[in-house]
Amino acid sequence: MKALLLVLCLLGVNHFASAMNHSGMIMDEKGMIMNANSDKLPNDCKKISENIDITIHAGHKHALKFNGKMFAFDNQEWDVKPCAKINITFINDDQIRHQLMIHGLPGYLYPEGMFHLELNGEGQLQASLIMPSQKKTYLVHCELPQHMEKGMKAQLKVDGGDGDLPSIPGLTAPVRADFYFVDWTQLSLSVLVFSALLGCTISFFIILNRTRIKDLFTKYLIRSTQKGG
Amino acid sequence: MTFKRTILLLIIIFTLTSFAIFIAPRMQEQAEITPPQTVYNDSKDNNNIIIPCPNEHPEWRAAQIIDDVNIDAAPSCEPDNPYDIATSVKGTNNVSMATLMQTNLAQDALTMTDDLDHDGDPDVVHIKLEVIELNGSTPDGDFLINTFDIAPGIQPGLWVYAPKSRGMALKNFNSVVANPMLRAPSPVIRVEQDDKVYITLENTHYLPHTIHLHGVDHPWLNSKGEDNDGMEEHAVFPGKSHTYEIKPRHAGTMLYHCHVQTAQHFMMGLAGMFIVEENRPNNWLQTFNIGAGQVRHPSATVKKTFSQEYDLHYQSVDKKLAKIIQDANDPRLVAEHMSRDYNMTESFENYFLLNGHSFPYTLRDAMIIASENEDIKLHIANLQRSAVAIHIHGHKATITALDGVDHPPAIQITRDVFDISPAQRIDLHLLTQNNGLNSYGPGLWMFHDHTPTGTTTDGLEPGGNMAILAYKELLDEQGMPKMHDEFFDQLFNKNYYAKNMAIWGEGEFAPLLADAGLLAPNYLQIILFGLTIGLIIGVLLLIILAYKRNQKQ
Ligand SMILES: [Cu+2]
Ligand SMILES: [Cu+2]
Repeated sequence: MKALLLVLCLLGVNHFASAMNHSGMIMDEKGMIMNANSDKLPNDCKKISENIDITIHAGHKHALKFNGKMFAFDNQEWDVKPCAKINITFINDDQIRHQLMIHGLPGYLYPEGMFHLELNGEGQLQASLIMPSQKKTYLVHCELPQHMEKGMKAQLKVDGGDGDLPSIPGLTAPVRADFYFVDWTQLSLSVLVFSALLGCTISFFIILNRTRIKDLFTKYLIRSTQKGG
Repeated sequence: MTFKRTILLLIIIFTLTSFAIFIAPRMQEQAEITPPQTVYNDSKDNNNIIIPCPNEHPEWRAAQIIDDVNIDAAPSCEPDNPYDIATSVKGTNNVSMATLMQTNLAQDALTMTDDLDHDGDPDVVHIKLEVIELNGSTPDGDFLINTFDIAPGIQPGLWVYAPKSRGMALKNFNSVVANPMLRAPSPVIRVEQDDKVYITLENTHYLPHTIHLHGVDHPWLNSKGEDNDGMEEHAVFPGKSHTYEIKPRHAGTMLYHCHVQTAQHFMMGLAGMFIVEENRPNNWLQTFNIGAGQVRHPSATVKKTFSQEYDLHYQSVDKKLAKIIQDANDPRLVAEHMSRDYNMTESFENYFLLNGHSFPYTLRDAMIIASENEDIKLHIANLQRSAVAIHIHGHKATITALDGVDHPPAIQITRDVFDISPAQRIDLHLLTQNNGLNSYGPGLWMFHDHTPTGTTTDGLEPGGNMAILAYKELLDEQGMPKMHDEFFDQLFNKNYYAKNMAIWGEGEFAPLLADAGLLAPNYLQIILFGLTIGLIIGVLLLIILAYKRNQKQ
């Protein structure tokens, strides 16, 4: 039995050491890389236009610069040329799992249209992908429940992109925004009352002086038509 | 206008007003000789009908061996993923990569090593748990994300512990449904007595949490001299991790739960069963029982006496508390609304769950499936707010342990209602011998909390934690109770639980007991009322004009 266990443990160790490469997936104890692509050109690209290195940090501390978020990447937007090759260094600054997923890629190169990096905890991963030539905006996010919702959302634009995605921290408005209380002070209340009174005064002023205003207006009209003529 | 005329006009207005009030059409009127017709449930509305058994993985039901792990048959509609079980038994480090690929477990979710006492099973166990929000909100639109339906169309916000997973948390990128491993209740965790167990909480959630090991033998501090009791002042904040260490000397059915803002976090679902099994040779345990229910790889001790083993986790939800995480997305707002605006002392329990589901979804994965003359072990934990009084129709079972402490056989009690206070556990020996005491014979015997609220879903029957003790021959090939088709058609329907359907809206008695329709409007009354109101306004205008004219003169 002991021997069996030893074999099992060895097998276990073996898994860790060798890592699994399974239909575009590389997985080990640190995390996994799915659908990395450093050499296959998209059909619409003749050659790689530029080679870009991007480092993306993920963690709760990157959310500190956004109000009302909990997790974030250190950057929310990237813009690359059509057919660019992007070499991503993904760094997880938290003690928990985070992902970096890019969606909407062509399925013939990236199964399910997805490029996916995942870190089981603190650490870093490196992988490349080649973007198609189409002018498009891609969603970049961590898909752990509530991570994108709480700020881990960004966009990758090719050729300036075809628009912006909603709810990107610091960049775009949410579709469903939260409600917050308004800071009504004595000052803002008195401003409100004053404006209302002013409005009343103005209307009274207009009614009382309506003939004079009419005269002034007609005079002005006549003069301007004369000038125009 | 003279004084006399004014008085006259005023009298006219008063008379007209009284008449208008008298004749005003109301929202509800009394029927005269003929009350309104019966309205029937809309049978053409297919969007809300749900297939009783989706039957997604029929191949998971059979008894099978995966990576040398024996997995018992599970005839129910939604059997546990046998690859999850194989991995839960051997650890993510010892199963084949092919098996691990059939699960959603992370490669470091469960590592089992070192046979310290040389008895043929691993004794050092590292368990990693994450905190998952189900039915949560999103700033990207008016929908919920990582959804988990507890009953047709019912999606309360929930928090659960989950074994550390990997990959997509959704079923796929175009879906908002949580992947099957992310579900209520928090998983049952099984460890062996005397094992060195390291439980790491990796807080993937946006609020702080802990793990408190209720009733499990644990030192107050871990080997680093840090908190090991999971108390509020040692909260694990978002993005952080903390390891609790135990070497439990006593075996029994225990609990684990969050101890941060305990009342709320417990009620949100951060609580589960933690079972310490006796130390036996070659005792490879199923560390995670995801979704609770049948244990498809029971421990050596259980197998000695029992043919089957089930974990039953009772849980309740306050819909107002559950909605807090759906109404706001900003963590600061959630924290404020949950901890300070929400007042649990003025709240109710609305949903009652057994193993994460309410009836009729309990039929999919929370049934006890038996044959005659079986000895079945039940671990029951009450993780809801109020006490439960569990009754199994047609049977009397025997209490073998209370709160994880065995009862000596001489004082073991056999009865048919088991009262369990919040956080208490009982172990039962259910004997399906048709002897007139322990069992009255085969059947589809309901079992449920006998507290009247317990069998409702937001007050609507049949719902709540109702489930069935089913004798095998009365189940179809998909593990669903036979002879219930019409009943299913009615209950597996979102409209039913949205309270849009008459309870007896179908069949012979529908004309008598379906919904009463609306009363036809009385047009004479409406026209008279309209004319009167018009007259009043006219007279009033007349008075105003006359008054103005008088002033000018
Ligand atoms: Cu994340
Ligand atoms: Cu908590």
